[in-house]
Amino acid sequence: MNDFLFTQVLTELEDAIGRENCSTKEIDRVTHSVDYFWLSRMWADRGRRMPEADFVVSPKDAQEVSKVLKIANYYKIPVTTWGGGGGTQGGAIPVAGGIVLDTKRMDKIYDVNTDSMYVECGAGAIYKHVEWAANEKGCTTMHYPSSLTCSTVGGFLAHRGIGVVSTKYGKIDDMALKLEVVLPNGDIIETSPAPKHAAGPDLNQIFIGSEGTLGIITKAQMRIYEQPESRKFRGFLFKDMHSAFLAAKEVLQKFKPSVMRLFDEAETVSLIKKIVGVQKPGAFMTLAYEGPKELVEVEEKIVLSVFGKYGAEDLGSEYGEKWWKEKITFFYPGHMLDIPQMFGTMDTIAPYDKIEKIYWAMKKAIETQFEHVKFIAHFSHWYEWGCMVYDRFIVEKEFVPEDPAEAMRLHNRIWSVGVRAALENGGVVNDHHGVGLKLGRLMKEQYGPAMQVFEGLKKSLDPNGIMNPFKLGL
Amino acid sequence: MRVSENTNYILDNCRFCWMCRHVCPIGNATGQERNTARARALAVSMVSRGAEKLENVVDNLYECSLCGACTNNCMTGFDPKEFVQTVKTQAVLEGCIPPYIADLLKKYAETGNVYGAKADGSLSPLFGKKSGTLFLAGQDALYCAPGCVKEALDLLSRAGVEAALDEKACDTGAAMWFLTGKTEETRAAAEACAKILNGYRTVVVYDPADLKLLLHEYKEWGIGVHAEIVGFNAFLLGLIRGKKLGVKKGKNVYTVQDNYAYARDLDDTETVRSLVECAGENREMLLFGKEANLAGHLVMRTYMPEVQRAVALKRWENANNMECRTVVTENPAEYVLLKETCPEGSRVISVEEMLLENL
Repeated sequence: MNDFLFTQVLTELEDAIGRENCSTKEIDRVTHSVDYFWLSRMWADRGRRMPEADFVVSPKDAQEVSKVLKIANYYKIPVTTWGGGGGTQGGAIPVAGGIVLDTKRMDKIYDVNTDSMYVECGAGAIYKHVEWAANEKGCTTMHYPSSLTCSTVGGFLAHRGIGVVSTKYGKIDDMALKLEVVLPNGDIIETSPAPKHAAGPDLNQIFIGSEGTLGIITKAQMRIYEQPESRKFRGFLFKDMHSAFLAAKEVLQKFKPSVMRLFDEAETVSLIKKIVGVQKPGAFMTLAYEGPKELVEVEEKIVLSVFGKYGAEDLGSEYGEKWWKEKITFFYPGHMLDIPQMFGTMDTIAPYDKIEKIYWAMKKAIETQFEHVKFIAHFSHWYEWGCMVYDRFIVEKEFVPEDPAEAMRLHNRIWSVGVRAALENGGVVNDHHGVGLKLGRLMKEQYGPAMQVFEGLKKSLDPNGIMNPFKLGL
Repeated sequence: MRVSENTNYILDNCRFCWMCRHVCPIGNATGQERNTARARALAVSMVSRGAEKLENVVDNLYECSLCGACTNNCMTGFDPKEFVQTVKTQAVLEGCIPPYIADLLKKYAETGNVYGAKADGSLSPLFGKKSGTLFLAGQDALYCAPGCVKEALDLLSRAGVEAALDEKACDTGAAMWFLTGKTEETRAAAEACAKILNGYRTVVVYDPADLKLLLHEYKEWGIGVHAEIVGFNAFLLGLIRGKKLGVKKGKNVYTVQDNYAYARDLDDTETVRSLVECAGENREMLLFGKEANLAGHLVMRTYMPEVQRAVALKRWENANNMECRTVVTENPAEYVLLKETCPEGSRVISVEEMLLENL
């Protein structure tokens, strides 16, 4: 953009939302150019500047977002929405420049409604703040991802996030009752007054997971829950993963634990040993069940009976409690995989009849096609019909190419091989981290001709293609 | 830019970690991504790598209040304050401090305080008293909250303590420390202050920011203070327990606005609660005790007044959510900013005001 047009656009943005809410400063452009995506971090670590926005804007509500989008559409300027910047898929990186629209000034908590058990809040609210607001009324959001303290409501909705008690309470897409969305043309819409209706397709689910490519979520009604009277933990060690799958599936036909996490043999002897202290080999599984005390006692009996049948060693409550206490510690510096290591989480989901096959296929593909690449996994979000595998690859620093472009190419190749192995065996591109820039190229491979539904929506809602270009494969 | 290996280590660990974002009082008030420990660390780490210029990102260091909420929240134990202060010093050495900070330093050089103010005329009669006990009001109180100084001295007087007040002693070096880190100027101010303090037997320190500097940084810098140093809250509690000050317990419900220096640097969240319990009942709001959340910073108010108002208003939101109507402060900065933003139906009082009302 030439200087003249740049100044013209800046003037219009300032007029729309206030001078103090529009920035072209280096500090704002740099800090909005690196998210939690390994590639952006590596690029910065090597002293390279990531693609930056020309303008960083912070509107306070849907009306101001609307004004920004009208300007962007007129001048055909890309708009990338930024919540907390904690995404791992590069979804918030303004690769095409233009405008970064930071949502965090839209952080108002409008209502903690205990009559209908929801919180209505701005999409820029940090989820932990929503949790605090619910706590003040004796309730909880039951959305406890590791990024709870740093990510926004809109960010979780944009990529279909998930928390650690999802097996009982569901994903973020199960928790959203109603959304306010600003369409690319600046129109402000509300989804249906209530979900679970028969008034056509669910508008919520069109925008949840759309990663800012179809519009910008500006407000949401999110479910809240009573604090459970009792929450009990129990750790088990299975001799192998197969018996653990059979046992877990059987339990899920009877009731839903809140936490169910099964760690493969490699993760059990590495991360779990380090953080939780389990010393023995095998496949470690930790469970939590919660709710009214009497029900929890019954649920515990069921677990002990079913797991006993499959030969699980009962490790008591200690490891589960330790894991619960440390569940966020994993993600602080010094406890987690970090630069200069290369790593990635290729979470995918499938029915029980496919998930084990996917795990072994991904493991084999990664370990045989790449030297010096480790593969570990756990299974942490479970349904009556299947579960999610959270598989990670790790390349130690001595095997990561010095040249950032070479490192990027290796990173992308590993991802392509891993995700294709999942797709070939009945998995999906991703379970709960989203698609972003990282996996856009694989969306068509998963969806085939079904991709035209997304492309049609994109073309119709965003004919100028300004919304988060190069993300989601759109 | 040259910084130590330890500073680079903290920078490199904080630059990609957002885990403390939710507790930053400035970030919560502004909603700006740059107001996070990770944004500061990322920008400075880019300077370290030669991919950014310090003068382009230096303003952001002055948007940190050094309250330490991020440090307290870090499960690994990293301290973002460390690199903020180190890099401020580096900015001074490289001559690239922002112009509004240069203005404050100029005022300090001309008047002895960053506010460029003179002590309020109403305090004049209080100067020059001879006593073995010095009341170290601090520059925030002296120049921005003279009413607090008068009430504090009045309360001490009612307990039979006729403390001296000395304008020069009020400059502990806290303002220079905040603005420039560990520079020659900060050290000179600290040494001059120590000299005055050593002329007294006991020094009662009103502002926890000064108390923290005297007890921590002075020691680290090898500046000796032989006088007994006591925090104002602890001194008051001693007077009450020693029956020198009779406080009647009333029916009022108070809520403590914990000051971060007391709560985290000095590890004292209980003295103020003991004082509140003498006068009435204490009801906690969100982020209390060690989790203390800033309600305002007076030096920062000189160059980002709207943000400081927003910081105070956020704290009122916390108080109102728990129906806490009377908030008790233990430092002048938070007293002033909460007072300026006090919503209808609520009230802010200092510790000394609370006790005076309950004698």
